[in-house]
Amino acid sequence: MASHAVQPLGIPVVYLVDDETVVRDALAWLLRSRRLLSEGFGHAEAFEAYLATRDLAGGWPDAPSCLLLDVRMPGTSGLVLFERLIERGLTSALPVIFLTGHGDVPTAVAAVKRGAFDFVEKPFSDNALVDRVLQALEASGQAILQRRGRLAVQRALADLTDREREVMERVIAGQANKLIADELDISVRTVEVHRARMFEKMNVRSAVELANLLREQAP
Amino acid sequence: MTTAPPPPATLATSPSAPPDGGSRSPRLLLWVALVFLLVVAQTLLVVLTLRYEQGRAQDRTDDQAGAAQGEIRRRAQLVLQGLQGLQTRDGDSTAWPGLAEALLRSQREIARIERRDARLQITAAADSPFHPPLFQRMPRAEMGLEAEVACGIARRLATPAFSRSQFVPLSSGLGVEVVDVCVPVQQAGELVGFHVATLLLSQWLDEARGADTGRSHELSFVEGDGTRLARSGAVRGAGVYVAERVVDLPGSPLQLRVDAAERAPSLIPNLATALVLGLSIALFGVVLLLVRDGRRRAAAEEALAESLGFRKAMEDSLLTGLRARDRQGRIVYVNPAFCRMVGFSADELLRATLPPYWPPEHVADYQRRQAERQAAAVADEAPHQGYETVFMRQDGERFPVMIYEAPLVTGTGKQTGWMSAVLDLSSQRKVEDLSRQQQERLQATARLASVGEMASLLSHELNQPLSAIASYATGSLNLLHAPGLPGADPAAPDPELLPSLQHALERIAEQAERAGRVIKSVHDFVRRRHQAHEVIAADLLIESVLPLVRLQARKTGARVELDIAQPVPRVKVDRTMVEQVLLNLARNGIQAMEADTPLAERVLLLRVRLAPAPAAAAGRWVVFSVIDAGPGIPADVAQRLFTPFFTTKPEGMGLGLSLCRTVVEQHGGAMDFENLPARPGNAGGRASGTEFRFTLPLLATRPPPG
Repeated sequence: MASHAVQPLGIPVVYLVDDETVVRDALAWLLRSRRLLSEGFGHAEAFEAYLATRDLAGGWPDAPSCLLLDVRMPGTSGLVLFERLIERGLTSALPVIFLTGHGDVPTAVAAVKRGAFDFVEKPFSDNALVDRVLQALEASGQAILQRRGRLAVQRALADLTDREREVMERVIAGQANKLIADELDISVRTVEVHRARMFEKMNVRSAVELANLLREQAP
Repeated sequence: MTTAPPPPATLATSPSAPPDGGSRSPRLLLWVALVFLLVVAQTLLVVLTLRYEQGRAQDRTDDQAGAAQGEIRRRAQLVLQGLQGLQTRDGDSTAWPGLAEALLRSQREIARIERRDARLQITAAADSPFHPPLFQRMPRAEMGLEAEVACGIARRLATPAFSRSQFVPLSSGLGVEVVDVCVPVQQAGELVGFHVATLLLSQWLDEARGADTGRSHELSFVEGDGTRLARSGAVRGAGVYVAERVVDLPGSPLQLRVDAAERAPSLIPNLATALVLGLSIALFGVVLLLVRDGRRRAAAEEALAESLGFRKAMEDSLLTGLRARDRQGRIVYVNPAFCRMVGFSADELLRATLPPYWPPEHVADYQRRQAERQAAAVADEAPHQGYETVFMRQDGERFPVMIYEAPLVTGTGKQTGWMSAVLDLSSQRKVEDLSRQQQERLQATARLASVGEMASLLSHELNQPLSAIASYATGSLNLLHAPGLPGADPAAPDPELLPSLQHALERIAEQAERAGRVIKSVHDFVRRRHQAHEVIAADLLIESVLPLVRLQARKTGARVELDIAQPVPRVKVDRTMVEQVLLNLARNGIQAMEADTPLAERVLLLRVRLAPAPAAAAGRWVVFSVIDAGPGIPADVAQRLFTPFFTTKPEGMGLGLSLCRTVVEQHGGAMDFENLPARPGNAGGRASGTEFRFTLPLLATRPPPG
């Protein structure tokens, strides 16, 4: 499927939300040493303000990203922010890794059950953390690609004419061209033309490919 | 009694009684009526008695009068007959004087008999030999008028006739009343003369009256105007009981008066009256006394009943149990509150030889105590202050009570037993227990919270710098090991590398210093606690935890004993911490005895002794021991006893003993324990208890003052 990706993924970004400047700075430095871009926020409100500037409906994030989130923060806590992200359905494209201090482990575990990517106890084993971050970015990329494919199929389906859709439904059902022509009361030749145009619009080469595409990317 | 006054009811219900007088006026009226009736009855009785007496006296007088009247008539008749007898032998005039003489002798009232002819000339006369001759002072001729009148009547009627009475003066200067009786003498139907007899009225009365009549009554003839003509009798009449009879002699009726010598009966000498009156008064007095007595008694009874009722109500509504026992310790009285407290009825308690509310396991103790108290009472040293003990309810529940007992002394000063007030302490104790438990829980929670808070704070404070350090270090290593950017010369060092590393290393140093500051602040905190140490006597330490220990001990029935060396050693400690250690050890000891130790052996001993320090250290030690009588500590437990988070209690944290040891060691002491050897009689060789010891350095000081 990557073969027909319309647009390559952007540069991965790691978002850091922690009230401790030192920790944020240290983590950013660590990530940079592994050649990862990061962006730090001192509190949950700042990150939410950043989110507001993004086009969440139009497919943000367009690059793989993940969020390192401190559980305990003054103001809006990490958990509250996490709940809001769940509400917006962002947690698959923006996996959340919790950073917990002493005593927060049970809350973090509960958060993982609710859909967080992972949690890491402070003090953390740093490269292991970066490895988890990379995994999270990978997962994020997958999620973004999946979403793009789905959007593409939806757009293609919307492009089809009525006749082409009728032909497509019968092709997926496995009917031969002749039968389709009889049912639609058109010539076999016309069916072939519609079928070729439909294949082109859906960016597939065979009926099998078409069926797979629709099954995987079905809205 | 027919003359009785209006019935008293009329008086009692008289509308004149004031309506608002209540019970007083009707009662007064009743009394007035009663007195009035009694007076009336009394008066009537006396009057009737007197009247009866009078009636009897009058009757007697009347009887006498009747009898005298009859006798006078009879004698008059005899005189007449005698006179007529003179007539029969008229022819023989010589015989007349003899006959007259005989008549005069037989009829002594006749003073003189005359014989007259038809022209009333005296032909013969005879005088009574018993009387002096009548007509010596005054000649008969002058006194003949009355006789002639009588004779005139007699001639006219041809029957004997009496003359009116007349006074005849005597030669002695006195005089007598006489009456003449004229009897016509007829011969052959023709009047030929008269016989005239002169009768002495007084003599007549003398003859007519009986022998005893003269002693009690005076007889007299009176004229119509009451003038007495003649009298007879040994006594003078009193003029009270008088009976008059008319003796109707032909021609001239005579009035007879009988006058009793008896006087009107006077009140006092009258025996019957006096007796009746005295008895009545006595009766009245007795009735009065009885009524008064009855009223007093009723009032007293009412007051007594009221006070009894009040006392009973007081006893019944009392919340304190009351119990009285005799000198043998048997219960003689209990109030309802006591019955409610122990759950036995009063009957059961009074019948029982041994108080049923004594818990069976304490009976021996209680009996000994009672014997001691009896001995003390004999010596007059009965303790008056209350003491605490344990009673048992009917359902077997034990409960603590406070007893205030005092000797029960009668009015004559003799002690008959003991009176006790019994207070149920169980609810109070429950509240105490509850509040203590709550307080302990609160303290524990607070301690836990502060420990947790501290740990959390510390971990946060340390986590931040440590995390940062780790991140910088890892990042630096990453940079050092990483291959250069694609296209860069691998041999030539990245020009950015050194500044980056420098940056990281500076941060690492910063954060390390920050972590160091955190650690130092903890140290400061500990040092501050150390400066809070104070000098305190060992017994004060124990005393301050004793109330809590005793509270705990009482719950399981254990006793707490103290054994503190003299003079009391002093130590310099963090008081709160050491007290906590003592409390922990004591609680452990009490809990160890809860399960298997018999109640009588549950003794927790707190001991303080001096001991020489180990060779290395100078000075001496104070050894605090907490000794229980529990089953001892098994070997496998003993090994791990001071390990943090090791516990044998279901809800324990396992911090108690390890913290205790830490505290003791912080004070420069040591802590250990030892299972006490089994008692010889103890089967199975089980330990007879455990001794937990900890030492604190003795404060080398001046000798204690005093």
